[in-house]
Amino acid sequence: MSAPLSDLGRARDQSGEVLAVEALGGGLVEITVRLPHLAATARPGEFAQLRAWDGVEPLLRRPFSVAWTAGEACGFVLEAVGLGTRLLVALRPGDPLRALGPLGNGFQLDPVPARALIVSGGLGCAPFPHLVRGLRRAGCPEVVVLSGAATADRLYPADRFVRGETGVRVMEATDDGSRGHRGFVTELVPEHCDETVAVFGCGPNPMLAALAAALRGMPRPPHRAEVSLEAPMGCGFGTCLGCALPLAGDHGTVWGLCCRQGPVMEVSQVDWPGLLALPPAHVA
Amino acid sequence: MSAVPAPLPPEAPGPDLRVDLGRGLVLPNPVGLASGTAGYGFELRQLIDLDRLGALFTKGTTLRPRDGNPPPRVAEVRGGMLNSIGLHNPGVEHVAAVYAAEFTRWRVPVVVNVAGGNVDDYLGCLDRLDAAEGIAGYELNISCPNIANGLDYGRDPVAAARLVAATRARTNRHLMVKLSPNVTDIAAVARAVEDAGADSVSAVNTYVGMKIHRGIRAPVLPGRGTGGLSGPVIKPLALAAVAQVRAAVSIPVVGVGGIMDAGDAQEFLIAGANAVQVGTATFVNPAAALEVLDGLLALALRSGIGRPPGRPGGAVRAVPPAGIEPASTG
Repeated sequence: MSAPLSDLGRARDQSGEVLAVEALGGGLVEITVRLPHLAATARPGEFAQLRAWDGVEPLLRRPFSVAWTAGEACGFVLEAVGLGTRLLVALRPGDPLRALGPLGNGFQLDPVPARALIVSGGLGCAPFPHLVRGLRRAGCPEVVVLSGAATADRLYPADRFVRGETGVRVMEATDDGSRGHRGFVTELVPEHCDETVAVFGCGPNPMLAALAAALRGMPRPPHRAEVSLEAPMGCGFGTCLGCALPLAGDHGTVWGLCCRQGPVMEVSQVDWPGLLALPPAHVA
Repeated sequence: MSAVPAPLPPEAPGPDLRVDLGRGLVLPNPVGLASGTAGYGFELRQLIDLDRLGALFTKGTTLRPRDGNPPPRVAEVRGGMLNSIGLHNPGVEHVAAVYAAEFTRWRVPVVVNVAGGNVDDYLGCLDRLDAAEGIAGYELNISCPNIANGLDYGRDPVAAARLVAATRARTNRHLMVKLSPNVTDIAAVARAVEDAGADSVSAVNTYVGMKIHRGIRAPVLPGRGTGGLSGPVIKPLALAAVAQVRAAVSIPVVGVGGIMDAGDAQEFLIAGANAVQVGTATFVNPAAALEVLDGLLALALRSGIGRPPGRPGGAVRAVPPAGIEPASTG
C-alpha cells in the first residue's frame, strides 16, 4: 500500500517577519512569524521548510509543523537541538525568516469524527493546536488531548493546545509524575478509546510505536488512527528522496517519503519494527 | 561529430544564450537542473517555471525499479550534504511509458540520466528510452557512489570507453557522460569517453564522503558509512576538475558542483564549462536555478553578449563571462 502524494500546488516560498519568540520552559520555544500565505493555506499536520540565516552553514532548511495560525501569523514549536534550531530560537522580533510551504500530507478531517483523541508526546505537540481548531471548526463535537512529556516543565501548556476553543479537554502525563498521570501518555489511551474515535498521534518513534501497539490490542479499536512522523529531510518537496520511512508493503518493507507521503500516515501504513530499528532523528 | 541540427526553440526576448551541445541537443540557455536533485521534474513544475530552464537532467534511471537505500539517506555537513539514496527510481519502463509522454508537452529539454551495473543494463535502458518521444538526450551515470560496483566504469578509462562505445552504437540521441571526481586522473576518463563517441561530458558527480557521529562513534549513513558529498563545499574541487577536463577534451563540458548563485555559475564558465547544472542549491531554494539564469541574463545584458532577438544564425556555445573569451570547444 502506498500513501498518496501530497499536493505541492499550494506551496510558496515566502519571506516573513518574526513577531514573537517565547520560551515555554523545559527548552520548548514557540515562535510567531508573519507569513500570510502559509497562514491562509496550511491545513492541520502540514509543515513548512524554514530558513532564517544567510550563508551555507547550516545549508538546508529545517522542517516544522505549522502549530497554529492566527490571521496572517503562524506559530511553530521547537527546541534547540542543533545548529539550525539554535539559530531559530535565537531570533528576535523583526528578524526575517523564509518559509516554503505548506508541504506534506496533513491529518484527515473528512469525514469529521464524532470524537477525536489526540496523543502528544514532548515536541510532538507541534501540529496539534492547529488540528484542535481544525477539528472543532469542522464540527467535531469532542476533542480530547492526551499530552505527555518527560517532566512537567516540558509539557506544552494546555491552554496553548486549546487556544480558546470550546469542547476540548487536555489530560496530562509525565514520566516522573511531576504533573498529571505518572507514566507514559499512551497508558491513558485505552480509557478514552472506542470505535467512535479517530486517533491522531505525534511524538518520538518509540511512543508512536507504543500507541500503535496499544490500538492493535484494543477490543474496540478506533475507526481511524493517524500519526505524524519525522525523518532527516533534505528538500521537503520530494526531489532529494532523502527522507525515507519504512512502510508496510505487500511484500515487506518499502521506503516511502516522509515529505510527500507523510508526514501524517495511517498507523496501518507504517512498518513499526522497521521504524524502531532506525537511528534516532538527532543522529543525522 | 555529425550534428543533426534540431529546430531551435522560438526566439525569446532578451539575450540569446542558447548552447549547442552537439548531435541536436541545443539548450535554450546554459542553466540546467542536476540529476538527482530534480526528480523527473514533476515536483519542481509545481513550484517554479521549469520551462524557462536550459535542461532538466533526471534522476538516475535503471533497468528495473529500485527502492533505494535504508535511511538515514542524507546527512548535513559544513557547507554541504552527504547523500546515499541508492538510485531510488521507478525503472526505465515507467519513465519511457508514463513520464516521457509528459516531457513531450514541456518546453525544457529533458535529458534522462541512465545508470546501470553492466553494459547490458545501460543498453536495455537506452533501447526502451529510444522508443519514446520527449527525451532530448542521455546522461550516462558511470559514477554513482552509492550502489555496489557503481564506480567501476567511472574509475577505469578502458571500461568507460567500452561502455560509451556500446551505447554510442545503440542510439543516435545526444550522449553525455557524467564523470566521477573520485578518480586519480579525471582527464584520462574524459579523453577515453570522447574518443569512444560521447557528445559531451558533465563534471562532476558527488565526492565520496563520510560523516561521523561522535555520540554513537560511527558513521551517520548506513552500510559502508559513505555517501556522495555535494553543495558549496565541493565547488573549488569541481572547478579544478572542470578545468582539467576542459583542457583534455574538445567536446562540450557541462559544469556541476556546488553552484549556489550566478557568480558560482560564471566561475564554471570561466573554468571552461559550456553550460552548468544547479544541484543541491535547489533543495535549499527551489528557484535557485532560475535565479542563476536571471543572474547570467543580467550579466549577458550588461556585457552585450548574445544575439539580439530575431537575428538569424547559429546558437552561441556558452555565455562568455565578462572580459573573458568564450571557452573553445573545438
